[in-house]
Amino acid sequence: MLEVEELEVRYGAIRAVRGISLRVASGELVALVGANGAGKSSTLMCIAGALKAAAGSVHLDGEDITSGKPETIVRRGIATVPETRDVFPDLTVDENLMLGSYIRRGDGKGVAEDRARMLSLFPRLAERAAQPAGTLSGGEQQMLVIARAMMSRPKVLLLDEPSLGLAPVIVDQIFEMIAVLKKTGVTILLVEQNVGKALSVADRAYVMRLGRIAASGTAAEIGAQTDLSALYLGA
Amino acid sequence: MTFAIQFLIDVLSLGGAYALMALGLVIVYGILRLVNFAYGELIMVAGYSMFLVGGSGLPWLIMAMVAVGMAVLAGIATDYIAFRPVRAKSVTAVLITSFAFSTLLQNAALLFISPRPQTVPLPDLFSETVTIGGAITPLRNLITIAAAVILLALFALLMRRTVLGIAMRAAATNFTMARMLGVPANLIISSAFAISGFLAGVVGLLWIGRIGTVVPGIGLEPLLVAFIATVIGGMRSLSGAVVGGFLLALIDTTLNYTLPQDLLKFRDAFTFSLVILILLWRPEGLVKGPASGQRT
Amino acid sequence: MKQHLLTAALLAGLVIVVVLVTQALGIRLYDRIVTNLCISLVLVLGLQLFMGNSGILSFAHMGFMGVGAYTSAVLTIPVQMKGMALPDLYPFLHGVELSPYLAIGAAGILAALVAAAISYPLMRLSDAAAVITSFALLVVLYTAMTHWSALTNGPRTLFGLPKATNLHLAALVAIIALVGALAFKESRTGRLLRASRDDERAAAAMGVNIPALRWRAFILAAFFAGVGGALWGHFITSFSPKAFYLKETFVILSMLVIGGTNTVTGAVVGTFIVTAAYEGLRGVEGVLNDAKVTAEPVIGLTEIVLSLAMIAVLILKPGGLFPTREIGALIARRMERKK
Repeated sequence: MLEVEELEVRYGAIRAVRGISLRVASGELVALVGANGAGKSSTLMCIAGALKAAAGSVHLDGEDITSGKPETIVRRGIATVPETRDVFPDLTVDENLMLGSYIRRGDGKGVAEDRARMLSLFPRLAERAAQPAGTLSGGEQQMLVIARAMMSRPKVLLLDEPSLGLAPVIVDQIFEMIAVLKKTGVTILLVEQNVGKALSVADRAYVMRLGRIAASGTAAEIGAQTDLSALYLGA
Repeated sequence: MTFAIQFLIDVLSLGGAYALMALGLVIVYGILRLVNFAYGELIMVAGYSMFLVGGSGLPWLIMAMVAVGMAVLAGIATDYIAFRPVRAKSVTAVLITSFAFSTLLQNAALLFISPRPQTVPLPDLFSETVTIGGAITPLRNLITIAAAVILLALFALLMRRTVLGIAMRAAATNFTMARMLGVPANLIISSAFAISGFLAGVVGLLWIGRIGTVVPGIGLEPLLVAFIATVIGGMRSLSGAVVGGFLLALIDTTLNYTLPQDLLKFRDAFTFSLVILILLWRPEGLVKGPASGQRT
Repeated sequence: MKQHLLTAALLAGLVIVVVLVTQALGIRLYDRIVTNLCISLVLVLGLQLFMGNSGILSFAHMGFMGVGAYTSAVLTIPVQMKGMALPDLYPFLHGVELSPYLAIGAAGILAALVAAAISYPLMRLSDAAAVITSFALLVVLYTAMTHWSALTNGPRTLFGLPKATNLHLAALVAIIALVGALAFKESRTGRLLRASRDDERAAAAMGVNIPALRWRAFILAAFFAGVGGALWGHFITSFSPKAFYLKETFVILSMLVIGGTNTVTGAVVGTFIVTAAYEGLRGVEGVLNDAKVTAEPVIGLTEIVLSLAMIAVLILKPGGLFPTREIGALIARRMERKK
């Protein structure tokens, strides 16, 4: 469904992503793991349209979306949850969710259904529906941005480091939610530093190091590789 | 008692006008972080439009709608000419292009119309006087208060209840994230400029109504008012701009009433010095804006 | 270091060459234009050293020019004329009559003092708020000049300044200003300021007192403006507060922006270009008016063209013609590449 070919992302003269290729099939959860600075987030942001691709291509169901702007990417069915979480702090939880369904705002009934579904999936959010999003805890905010992204009924969900800065107990909860979301059939590309959690929900995984793909395979294969730390830290 | 009512009416009508001026400026700043120096010229455009349709014999309300419409168009034009081409480049670049655009508009009026003041048609309603509790005041002041209340209420409604408003508030907090949810960036921005133009047009007509003539430089004072009210209010906050507007009106009116005759001409200098003192005490302004955590 | 000397030498050389050629030509019109050019250089360089290093746009600059002009006026208008020129003047100033050269220096110092006294709050503000407040400051200064009749003759024209500025004096001061701006740029204050411009948080984290640095730069800029104002006053010998307001702010700003805000070379080149364009356009306006092509006199054409030019430059080359490197550095690089 999602095909990335020889993607390159540059920050000025620095090449953060040096020609990577990956595939995500429909309904799969693929993890992109690697150390800090490996280029995982840059890859994700480029797919999302927030960063320009210096070279290479991104295809969704055969359509070229390499140079898409963020507004168009989401309309094609790719929803992004950036690393920075980015709730709108002064808007309520409900207003945040409403914005998530912006591209479907004509479909009142469908939006209401989705809202109900998200709130039942994330009961903590239901409790706080009228509160400003800025007053939520880190874990709740993470749930909110994932729910918000799902409100657009995306085909593909891009998740950037959902576990960042969260306590282990909360991380477990978030990943339970991710597993539930996977069951609904949405395709997920997950960027994570927490390899263990990522592999626990993923079908396949890619390991990135210094802007390139260093290894790929099923979650089991990657998990079994003893020199994972070498891949992370460099042999 | 009479004095208090007179004072109250003066402060409220001036405050209402100032609040609308400030709001028109902040709505663009809040979303784009960019200051529109050509904002005063939107009022100038409204004024000159009134002048140009003045001889047409249409009812005043229709002419006013044309004038406000022209201000809206001018607002959108400002976006396309002075902002869009340089938005990505730097904050300073936009400040300067809008300043240049302001100069362009003023000199276009100078060149193509006239440097001399031109009469603007006003409804008789404006100058009729009304007596409230012993205080005599032109009806125009009451109209201004009413207009301010209505527009501010409508605006608050827009921002809180409509999808556009919520999208605009989101875009003001985090433009990129809003785009990632599919909020069309350019539409949001054009809407902001259009609303800015609308507010400028309405307050412009009320403002020009005090003197009855328009000159190329008429936008300067409202621009300054909007600037100062916004800065005291806290740059990013819509409610802050309104608070700032009323506070400025309070200061101005108080000084008007209390300064001895020979110091009265320095009133503006006093007002702004007071503002500088307020900023010394609270550099971020008086009202907390949307949380952003970074330098404004 | 060599690059900076090269830049100073080249720019100063440019000024000297233009002055010598003008002198040789001996045409009064050119004399006037080039003298004005040199005075503009002083003003633009002052603005450059604040704006280029701090990254903050300041609209107040012309206000300080006015402070300088009026200070020098009060100090130098001959005692016999003082009664006529400044009828409301404070008695204690009646007898004062200094040499214009001293007065020009005093004008700069007074402008700097005024800047020091009123500008500190500005320095703590964020970018946009600082710009807006500097705009307000311009208005405050203008209001003060227009109404403080005791010192300025109010909104009316002030006459009687001795004509002490000639081409040579203006050129000399311009060259000193040039060297000063370059020296400031490379000084510790200048460099720290630029660091803070580029990354405010990092600089603050290192213990840099950003408001204090900005304040210093602002004071120095005001000094330049004051000196420039006094120089101009002694050239034109009569002026009113309107000469220190928005239109002039726009022209000076255009010189800096078109040339390049962040470099001294930009400031100098921009001044040359805009002065040439301005004088040329004014000439065209004059011709059109003489020929009575239009019913009403043609005014504002110059400003319209200048605004369009500014917008165009900002769209195409937002940093101006010399966005980052001084000419000395550019040439040094060329030579490096040729090796």
